[in-house]
Amino acid sequence: MKKRNILVVTLLAVSPYLMYTSCSDDKPQEDVNVEQVEEVVKERNESFYQIPAPDEMFSFIKNSGLTYNKSLINSPQKSSTYSTPMEQTLIFGVYSADLAYTASYEEFNESIKYFATVQKLAESIGISGAFNEELMNNIKNNLDKPEQLLANSNDSYFSVIEYLEENEQGNKLGIIASAGWIETVYIVANSIDYKKNSDALQRLADQKLTLDNLMLYLEKYGEDENVKELMVWLKELEQTFDALSEENTTSSGISLKKNEGGKMVLGGGSSVVMTKDQFTTVKSKINEIRAKIVK
Amino acid sequence: MKNLKNIFLAFLTIVLPILASAQYCNTFHTKYCPPSDNGMYTLNGQSKSALFSKGQTSELNVIVYKGQDYRISLCFDQTLGSQITFKVYETKKVKVEKVIETKTMEDEYQKDENGELAVDEWGAYIPTGNQVEVVNKETITVVEKQKTLLYDNSQDGFATELEFSVETTRRLIFEVSIPGSASGSATKSKLMKSSDMGCVGILVEHMLTPIQGFKGTGF
Repeated sequence: MKKRNILVVTLLAVSPYLMYTSCSDDKPQEDVNVEQVEEVVKERNESFYQIPAPDEMFSFIKNSGLTYNKSLINSPQKSSTYSTPMEQTLIFGVYSADLAYTASYEEFNESIKYFATVQKLAESIGISGAFNEELMNNIKNNLDKPEQLLANSNDSYFSVIEYLEENEQGNKLGIIASAGWIETVYIVANSIDYKKNSDALQRLADQKLTLDNLMLYLEKYGEDENVKELMVWLKELEQTFDALSEENTTSSGISLKKNEGGKMVLGGGSSVVMTKDQFTTVKSKINEIRAKIVK
Repeated sequence: MKNLKNIFLAFLTIVLPILASAQYCNTFHTKYCPPSDNGMYTLNGQSKSALFSKGQTSELNVIVYKGQDYRISLCFDQTLGSQITFKVYETKKVKVEKVIETKTMEDEYQKDENGELAVDEWGAYIPTGNQVEVVNKETITVVEKQKTLLYDNSQDGFATELEFSVETTRRLIFEVSIPGSASGSATKSKLMKSSDMGCVGILVEHMLTPIQGFKGTGF
């Protein structure tokens, strides 16, 4: 039995070399061996749940005419006051969203401060590897180009996602993405007054759908104590969003088809509607959750 | 001891290439999915790559916002074939009323000549000694997931690009299916050959929907 195990292990050990050399002039018999060796992989019919990055929201609200409000974001000077790993992971997400906010509004000096804060916190929570040399050089080379701010901010955010996925730290990614989303919704909710049919209000109401994805993502890591704690907060917010109704925008159902100009359009179906009272409730709940994070 | 050392070395030799291929898959969409020529589009953080095997179907749940254009580009390793099915569904939670029936066995009581429940001198109902089945109906509201098919690339020449404008914010599912089945033996359904696997990337790009025509008060 032991000999058999060693034989299997040896065959598996040899296989990668055979795979990599299969395009060379090696003898054909070795290619046959490649096909005989099997790799063990997980059964992989999976569902992935994605959350839009903060920049998508901020670019939109800037375009909607909302002005930059420095008082809404968390001061970088407070970064050293967060001491536990959970506090630091959450606040990393918050500062990442704040960085996207300052970059979207081309607040050059502020962006530099937030970038330094995010980078420093990355070391504290053990993800400094996300800020590799190539990324850092790219950012340094573009420091004097305000128009590159958002691209730099996005590069660092996507690099963090990539790093955490590669290192199978989905729980940490979930906490960072949640905190970033909470900060984004907080900034939008506190930047607008209730004005029915305004684009920014609609975007806020639409977060009901984004929160669905976020909760489904977090459920995958529901065994993690920190994720569990975060989900309790978000469940309360989910209940307030659940009260928002969905009304049909047209008499026809949803469709993805070409319009008269030949452009594909996703239209019809229902749209989330937020009343003034619901706006106040959502804003109050998001402020309460955000206060628990930034303290 | 020598055997253990050999096994450890062999293990490293196996694991390292697999880890390398998994890492290669993670950034597949940024390297192999062709981005738009339109400079207005920016990379969307909901893009994703993953390792797939033949016969596998997986889904990517994304949010598309009103007032934005999206471009989806699919790319994949040749080992997975040339015709990969890509479907777009809308998914939503809907509240559905359901009637739940519960059956219980309860005591049967005597009835008088008018069909009313008879009572004894103490005013209590009089059991017959038999039991009858009672059906209770309760209406409850449950939340169900509803899926509506919006696009199927097999009806579009297995196109690997899709571009559209969004008029109402939606939760979409991008479903990718790899044709064929893994050629591992039936008894080892979780084992498969390297040639049955490959990376699939879904590159998502977005931009604010351009305003068409003249804008402003005009003179």
